[in-house]
Amino acid sequence: MGGRFQPMKFKILIVEDSKASRELIAATVESISGLEAIATSSGFEALKLLPRHRFDLIITDINMPDINGLELINFVKKNPNYRDTPLFIVTTEGREKDRDRGLALGAAEYLVKPFSPQSLVGLVRRYLKLA
Amino acid sequence: MPSLSVLLDSFFYRPDEDVGPIQELVAGTDETVEPVPEEIPEEYLAFRLEGEHYAVPIHGVREIVKVPPLTEVPRAAANLLGVMYLRGEVLPVYDIKVKLRLADKAPLVAGPDAAEPPRGARIIVVQTADGLAGIWVDSVSEVVRLRPSMLELAPPGVGGGERDCVVGLGRRKQQLFILLDIWQALT
Amino acid sequence: MNQAGKALAEFVAEGTEILEALGKDLLVLDQQRGSDPDPDLINGIFRAAHSLKGLSALFGQERISKLAHQAEDLLDRLRLGKLSLDDQVLDSLIEALDVLQALLAEASREVSSDALSGRVTELGSRLANLGVTSAAVDEDPLDRLELDAQVRAVFTEYEEHRLRENVRRGVALYRVRAAFDLSDFDTGLAELNSRLKPLGEVVSTLPSSEPGGASGIAFDLIFGAKVPEAELAAKLQGTPAQLFSLKVRPVGSAQAPAAPAPVAQSVAQGIRPSAPAADAPTPPKKPRKKRAPKGSGAETPAPAVTESLVQAPLLRAVEEASPEDLTQGVLEAMRMGESSSPPRPELAGPPVRTLTDEPASPRGPRMENESARSLTQTVRVDISRLDALMNTVGELLLIKANLQRMVETARQQEGSVMLSSKLWGQELSRETRQLERKLDALQQGLLEARMVPVGQVFDRLARLVRRIARDAGKEIDFVIGGGDVELDKLIVEELSDPLMHIIRNAIDHGAESPEARMAAGKPRRARVSLRAEQKGNHVVIEVSDDGGGIDELAVRDMALRKNLITEVQAREMSRRELLNLIFLPGFSTARSVSELSGRGVGLDVVKNNIGNLSGIIDVWSERGQGTAFHLTLPVTLAIIRALVVGVSGRTYAVPLNSVLEILSVKPSEIRTVERREVLDVRGTTLPLMRLARQFGHPERQNDRHFVVVAGLAQERLGIAVDELQGQQDIVVKSLGGRLQGVRGISGAADLANRRTVLVLDVGALLEEGMSLERRRA
Repeated sequence: MGGRFQPMKFKILIVEDSKASRELIAATVESISGLEAIATSSGFEALKLLPRHRFDLIITDINMPDINGLELINFVKKNPNYRDTPLFIVTTEGREKDRDRGLALGAAEYLVKPFSPQSLVGLVRRYLKLA
Repeated sequence: MPSLSVLLDSFFYRPDEDVGPIQELVAGTDETVEPVPEEIPEEYLAFRLEGEHYAVPIHGVREIVKVPPLTEVPRAAANLLGVMYLRGEVLPVYDIKVKLRLADKAPLVAGPDAAEPPRGARIIVVQTADGLAGIWVDSVSEVVRLRPSMLELAPPGVGGGERDCVVGLGRRKQQLFILLDIWQALT
Repeated sequence: MNQAGKALAEFVAEGTEILEALGKDLLVLDQQRGSDPDPDLINGIFRAAHSLKGLSALFGQERISKLAHQAEDLLDRLRLGKLSLDDQVLDSLIEALDVLQALLAEASREVSSDALSGRVTELGSRLANLGVTSAAVDEDPLDRLELDAQVRAVFTEYEEHRLRENVRRGVALYRVRAAFDLSDFDTGLAELNSRLKPLGEVVSTLPSSEPGGASGIAFDLIFGAKVPEAELAAKLQGTPAQLFSLKVRPVGSAQAPAAPAPVAQSVAQGIRPSAPAADAPTPPKKPRKKRAPKGSGAETPAPAVTESLVQAPLLRAVEEASPEDLTQGVLEAMRMGESSSPPRPELAGPPVRTLTDEPASPRGPRMENESARSLTQTVRVDISRLDALMNTVGELLLIKANLQRMVETARQQEGSVMLSSKLWGQELSRETRQLERKLDALQQGLLEARMVPVGQVFDRLARLVRRIARDAGKEIDFVIGGGDVELDKLIVEELSDPLMHIIRNAIDHGAESPEARMAAGKPRRARVSLRAEQKGNHVVIEVSDDGGGIDELAVRDMALRKNLITEVQAREMSRRELLNLIFLPGFSTARSVSELSGRGVGLDVVKNNIGNLSGIIDVWSERGQGTAFHLTLPVTLAIIRALVVGVSGRTYAVPLNSVLEILSVKPSEIRTVERREVLDVRGTTLPLMRLARQFGHPERQNDRHFVVVAGLAQERLGIAVDELQGQQDIVVKSLGGRLQGVRGISGAADLANRRTVLVLDVGALLEEGMSLERRRA
């Protein structure tokens, strides 16, 4: 350690109630160097995390038990502190209506499960303007 | 009445402290070797069995411990010397001398009739597919660095006919080490 | 474990968890057959299928993903009201669960059988073809609701559907606004939800997009109430919640741009602090306990300020809403609230009802295709238990620091005169006592962390019972009790197969057909019950039925026919002994073995399994009245009390729970019957095994032997040893992979002074003794 320069990390918020999916997404995101994933299973927890960190990107599921992902998107996009943070929706096949609403509310991109880690990495890099 | 320091020593007994860290052994063992860029030396743990010098790749060795009291297991395989505790786990300890044809039968080192283990004797702990296992050696001598050019195939007859346990010979100046496949020796 | 194996294990663990929840909810749905299903329940099941689909797709488990998708589609139609829940749909869902369980089991073994794949395809197309999509509605009732379009935009399709349903039924809708502190809003919301839930349906929880200041956040709950407003308002007193009525225009009225209920705007501006200035109680700050806190704010008269804030807009809202709509809505909502399921005709009813004596365990059932064993090795531990363990570890570190300090002092004083060895001794023994106490606490804590309620396995069994009874054509009431009794996780897992076997027997052989029962003057439905009860250090599990009972004379004849006993033995046997013959290897009431019960496995295997858990099984039966099996099990396996014995200078430990008594015997008392050594103990013959001889140790000449009488289940054996060294609590460690094959040894334990002792496997020794006996006989 000893005073070595620690570059500032990009922080990614992941909101996904399936543990395995959450960990997979987090691992994929963290495979990009300089990125730190903060993952949570609930929308409530996400609401608590938002003011505590400065997130560079939010990735959220739509179908969650407490508040739904659309509500989270709306909350983020209406709040001047967060509204510029890009937001991705993770959804599954067959939920096109919910997906479209998410995009209408201001989500930047959507990913349909199962998606390849490469496609997620590509999107993340693009939005964080990484090489 | 044993002295307090002895009591405390046994209270704080940690088998893994018995032999200094492997790095210390490494220091100064290998002063003659000129590092050749293409040749990456590998470290081997050298030990003695019935006066013979054997060596195994160090990365397969988990630790080296002084021989604790071993508990014999009735009706077990002949090469099982007994079991020991190592940090809360039960671990079988094996003899490989019989396998290597260095002895006719495994020494009696567990149970009430066993003699005190010789001072130099150690248990080498290795990871196997079925968990940790210990191997009795008469003494641990050093860690040697052997470059690929120092290795040769074993001539027929070395290793007591058990060719499958002996993978080759390592020669460092006049010193010869029999390189063992320790997992094969445990079968 | 390698990366792929780890990922698979994770997938199986989470898949199991999802199916567990799914099974639990389906069970509830099954019990509610005939009544209107709870929308939350259907949605929960839908969510489970949805999660499973996403999860399995992510892990490349195509078969699971495909079937989950088809189930999800069906459930989606159900929850969106496009399909009604009938028996056919429910049975298909239950079958889908069975198949998904089987698929998960195959996935965990990394196999993929064609038979199962065929079932997936067949079931999938059946699911797709179920039900007919109802005709589209001409007018969307939701358009009649005056709700901000922006709010509507954040509803999921499902939430929209629920809202629509509520409007259609004329349920009075409200926006409940509440502001909380950011740090604990979830507990506040949970508290609010627990008050609202019994009064209606929370359709959606919307975090307000208005900035709530640095530490505040406001929520709007869209709520459909099934109680009158006054009651709702009363229930909300003492919470930071404000009520706003959502106006619904009458059917066919013109569509006006939606706007939030204007009635309450005078008080709704901005966000109120988490509690009004008046002395109304704040929402609880502590995490909510399992039970709802007693004595809600509604019981105390609310301060006048709060009352006017909450109720004034309400009263106006009542006036503004169409009185007819309102009354009708309330009436309908109240009817909905009553569980007015039509009485079930006996014949058409499902074959099994599961009755629970007490609230079901919160943990869900898991089941596999043919077994109720769970696929995962994980234990869920309450975080508070882990915290307590962490604290203990912290205290242990303190003790270690103290001891280290003492060692340092001792080193420094070496050579010089020891200050005061007496003082030293005192200090050392004080630390040792502390150490002992903390280690005890640690041990206790770890044991508790391993404990799980037996209800876990009971619930899984309940699911299987349903199918077994249906296949057997029996009508069964399955009664569960004592599900909250806790046992070591390992024991609970190992119990599922033996219990399943006994329950299968009870349904298959015990319970009579409905016709036979009626003829015998019994209730038509047979009763099979499964109960657990803690008795000191043991747990007794009883499986009983009110069926035909076991005919001990038939058992005796069978045993004679199969040469399991001799005529002489048979004549001397008591009724109880005759009944217990059913546990003998080779005994099977083969005449009636159906495809369902046996699969060639007899009760001897059950007895062995129980024996392996250091348990004892016993049977009681009364002809015509029923049968009861009692399984007595230790609460925990990890730490046992052991008898330490010496043989030929070696030391062994014998688990005390299998020791019945200890005899001191002179060599002359040992008799030989057919070259087999036996003892005469109070008139019965006890087979004797000299441990030294059995283990090949040099035998010693003793002028007396100690004989440890060991018993497991129905077997007895005397084990002769040289000396008794006392009793001790030991932590048994398994001998691990390389030594698993060693006969007669179940593990090792570390006694004090780095002395390792082997623990005798009493069950195996009994087995050896008995097989010797049989060979000689």
